[in-house]
Amino acid sequence: MIEVKNLVRTFKSGDRTITPVNDVSFELEQGTLASIVGKSGSGKSTLLSLLGALDKPTSGDVLVNGVSLAGMPDGQLTEYRRRDIGFVFQQFNLIPNLSALDNVMLPMEFAGIRKAARQERARHLLEQVQLDPDKHVRRINRLSGGEQQRVAIARALANAPKLILADEPTGNLDEQTGEHIIELLSSLSRNHNTTILVVTHDRSLANKTDRRFRLQQGQLTEEAARSRIAAASPA
Amino acid sequence: MSVLARSIGNAFRNKVRTAAVVAVLAVAIGLALAMLVANQAVAGKVAELNASVGTVLTVNPAGGQGFEGGGEPLTAEQAATAAAVPNVSTVVGTKALRLRNAAEVAAQTGTQAGAGGPGGQGGAAGPGSQSATAVTTSLTAAVDAGTLGNRNQAATGSTGTSGSSTAPAFSVPVTATGIGAEVDTTGKALALTQGTGLGDYTAASTGALLGTTLAEKNGLSVGSTFTIKDQSFTVAGLFDAGTAFGNNALYLTLPTAQTLADLPGELSTMVVTVNSMENVDAAKTALQAALGTDKADVSQGQRNLQTAVSSLGSVKNISFIAFVAALATAGLIILLIMVMLVRERRREIGVLKAIGAPNRTIGLQFVLEALVLVAMGSVVGAAVASFASGGIASALISSNTATAAATTGRRGQGFPGGVPGGAGFPGGNPLGGANQLLTSVTASASPGVIAGGIAAVFGVAIIGALVPALLTARIRPIEVLRGE
Ligand SMILES: Nc1ncnc2c1ncn2[C@@H]1O[C@H](COP(=O)(O)OP(=O)(O)O)[C@@H](O)[C@H]1O
Ligand SMILES: [Mg+2]
Repeated sequence: MIEVKNLVRTFKSGDRTITPVNDVSFELEQGTLASIVGKSGSGKSTLLSLLGALDKPTSGDVLVNGVSLAGMPDGQLTEYRRRDIGFVFQQFNLIPNLSALDNVMLPMEFAGIRKAARQERARHLLEQVQLDPDKHVRRINRLSGGEQQRVAIARALANAPKLILADEPTGNLDEQTGEHIIELLSSLSRNHNTTILVVTHDRSLANKTDRRFRLQQGQLTEEAARSRIAAASPA
Repeated sequence: MSVLARSIGNAFRNKVRTAAVVAVLAVAIGLALAMLVANQAVAGKVAELNASVGTVLTVNPAGGQGFEGGGEPLTAEQAATAAAVPNVSTVVGTKALRLRNAAEVAAQTGTQAGAGGPGGQGGAAGPGSQSATAVTTSLTAAVDAGTLGNRNQAATGSTGTSGSSTAPAFSVPVTATGIGAEVDTTGKALALTQGTGLGDYTAASTGALLGTTLAEKNGLSVGSTFTIKDQSFTVAGLFDAGTAFGNNALYLTLPTAQTLADLPGELSTMVVTVNSMENVDAAKTALQAALGTDKADVSQGQRNLQTAVSSLGSVKNISFIAFVAALATAGLIILLIMVMLVRERRREIGVLKAIGAPNRTIGLQFVLEALVLVAMGSVVGAAVASFASGGIASALISSNTATAAATTGRRGQGFPGGVPGGAGFPGGNPLGGANQLLTSVTASASPGVIAGGIAAVFGVAIIGALVPALLTARIRPIEVLRGE
């Protein structure tokens, strides 16, 4: 369960201050697939980085299962990112000179998991994102965009996080591949009881999520809730 | 995949750049090691020079030196006095004689009928030759008189000619020195090239050590005999003093020389060895006081050599500075490379942070990468150094002794200046064998030296990698992820 309370983030550029996140509050139940839409520059990435402890809010707080991130020392924030959060980025952000398997194993290495166990889990995760772990041991930059994003999703799942934050995961992919990725995220949230928050400006992708938020002028508004079953069952 | 494996992989991400970095590092590290090796070699040389020559004092009769000057000769009692001075470890007496070829002396005295007295003693009885005595020999000098010999002889007026304007043919005398130990007149061990020494140098002996050119000139080898003052002597060994002047000489035991001169107990010089370099100045003062300024002149034979030692010392400092500079260069190179690599991978550091990498892991990863680069640079550099250091060390030392030679000038050949003969003014090659020793210094790198140098570079590499990596890792991940 994620609770966001009166979150504010302001930036000073020159003598102008902008507030892309201005008093945002919401809650997400465990296992929810949620989306945030909004114009470019509306503060979606800023909000996501605050939730994932990549940035610190100007004010407000994020509570993860009741534990406050505000005032948490950097070491604990690192642990929070490693254990509780999985990131998926628009530019994939895989480590270029490592194989797919090594990329997926990396967060587990930081968590101190033994090599054999890491390897086994990484193979399992790659299979889950429909990649062949034996075929994809080669270098990352030889994979297609869709394949790379699936490796990134497998990496985000590595330490079985409570919350996956995906910032425009389909932004660099064609429509069909993008749809596959959203379907993948959707099935993961269902099968692993993982909360997933996806930022997108693709309405049709957003429509496939349980809860839809819109970020506008720093304010977050929720669109009408849809039932999970309705979203999952084909028309 | 471990941090180490990842770091090694990262070190080879850009192979061309890695090769370039390793090459530049290798040059700097190689130079640093070569300088360290050179520094060690020079330090070793300085210590060696200090230990061997630096502790020798020479005692001459007050006002006299060799065959020049005046005053009263030194005595055996004075040698005993000197030996009792604190910190004096050995006192070796010498007695110098000038040998004239018997046939020539006969011819000269024949042509100069009536020139009695000192004239009969050949060229030796000049005004300043109290401490040496001329005697006849069957040997012929290995040096031709030449212009210098005749000029020197005229200057000393030693033939005692009575108004004769035409000087007869003159030949250079042979210097015979009685020695109380197997050392030359500067206290340096004799370099025997053939045969043996004379055994007990404090007992009479019919053995003699001949300079190589003197033996050659007279067709003598080990075991041959010749005469001095009609007594037969056997060649026990040959030595090489390194100079034509030094080799036109022979050594006898001290009592033998004193007997030949009919001056038992009398010494030309005393070679005093002090137990350590630090005590030389004190011992010199004490020795001078014990013998009396009116009786003896105490000089520090290595004073001149000290110039060489001090200029070697400056080479030592220069090579150390060069070592530090080369090391600093290596450090600067790895520092800049790591700063560049960290900057280049800022975004990657952000990604690692986002997926939960602790700062220490990121720091360690870059440190290991830097160490991989430095390790490769060190291996190549050590190979370069092992080829270069010998040359560098001997180049440093030999070029330095060339300057030292210019300043040392007239370092004692034992009989500076006034010897009537071809030696002229000693100083052509004042360091003689020392020079050879110096140039032959081959720098051998001890493992400790290599390890110390490399450890220093590794230390700089660790700091060079750690500081920028940690500075970047401490930034909020979003700032590096956003890019510029
Ligand atoms: N570090 C920063 N310094 C200054 N302005 C920033 C910074 N980060 C984001 N912004 C500004 O905040 C606004 C929101 O950015 P962002 O969250 O990236 O938008 P989105 O992801 O919705 O496109 C933009 O106007 C952006 O320029
Ligand atoms: Mg964005």
